[in-house]
Amino acid sequence: MSFYRRHGHEIPALNTASLPDLIFTILFFFMLVVHMRKVTVKVKYQVPAGTELTRLVNKSAVSYIYIGKPMNGWGQVEKDRLQVQMNDKLTSIPEIKQYLIRSREEMSSEDRQAMTVSIKADQQTDMGTIIDLKQTLREANALKVNYSGVYRTEKNK
Amino acid sequence: MMFRKRNRRKVPGLNTTSTADISFMLLILFLVSSSMDLDQGIARQLPPIDKDREKQTEAMVNSRQLMKFQISKDNKVLLNGKDFKIGSVRAAVEKFVSSNGKGHIIQLQADRKSSYNTYFEVQNEIMAAYSALRNHRSMEEFGKAYDLCSVEQQQKISDEIPVRISEVYEIQAQENEGGGEQ
Repeated sequence: MSFYRRHGHEIPALNTASLPDLIFTILFFFMLVVHMRKVTVKVKYQVPAGTELTRLVNKSAVSYIYIGKPMNGWGQVEKDRLQVQMNDKLTSIPEIKQYLIRSREEMSSEDRQAMTVSIKADQQTDMGTIIDLKQTLREANALKVNYSGVYRTEKNK
Repeated sequence: MMFRKRNRRKVPGLNTTSTADISFMLLILFLVSSSMDLDQGIARQLPPIDKDREKQTEAMVNSRQLMKFQISKDNKVLLNGKDFKIGSVRAAVEKFVSSNGKGHIIQLQADRKSSYNTYFEVQNEIMAAYSALRNHRSMEEFGKAYDLCSVEQQQKISDEIPVRISEVYEIQAQENEGGGEQ
């Protein structure tokens, strides 16, 4: 011990000047990867699992239809009856047609060709609802459909 | 000039200690307000509502080239009227499509009381069969998987193995047949 020099080295303070840069990098990463939630989902649904899934591209041309049990602001199921939600509000199937026709008119011409409807329906939905919905979509001339699903892993099989 | 003091005053450095905190807050804001879930699903093309489509479909249907799937109201899958396991749908479709080539038609009819989950699974199995066949064909022809082929190559293969699924819509009482092809 006594061989060492006595005056203690002071540990230099950690230089945190680059910390903001690091965090900004993470921030930009998230801004690029993630997309913002545009709608508040008012129904509770669990999409079926599959393996042959394709990703939705061109998000601006996609309309979303949710089918599930309505829930309140705290995420609790209120009613046991299935409800249809189109983009931002709860509707019924016949109203969707008018809405789709109107939103098609608002789209740019490129988007109009790629117009897709993403159906996010609960697993327990009866096919009657789906068939009626598909018929409505055909009447509204929105023919590209995407049945939303999650990728099947061994766990949720 | 001479009266001024000579020593230049230094501009003090801006204190940037809180920049990290500010950017952390922005980061957390983005984490909270965004969703990471991928939008993916089975893409399908619905048939347009046309008055003259009746003639079209009738002309093409040949009973030997027709594979008829039904989903009963207790979620059982029937092939040509007989009970069928959902696990064997893929192999059956693969065999059927490869033996019948371009002329085949797969008909899918779901009861109004059956569940969406079963329907989705059958669709998934059929699409899996098609993609297996397409992959096989592209491996033979171009030596790579279908997804890795160029757009023209994919077009060529999808012309050889078209997805021909027709869905029967049961609307309330009467039946309405519509040919759904991609």
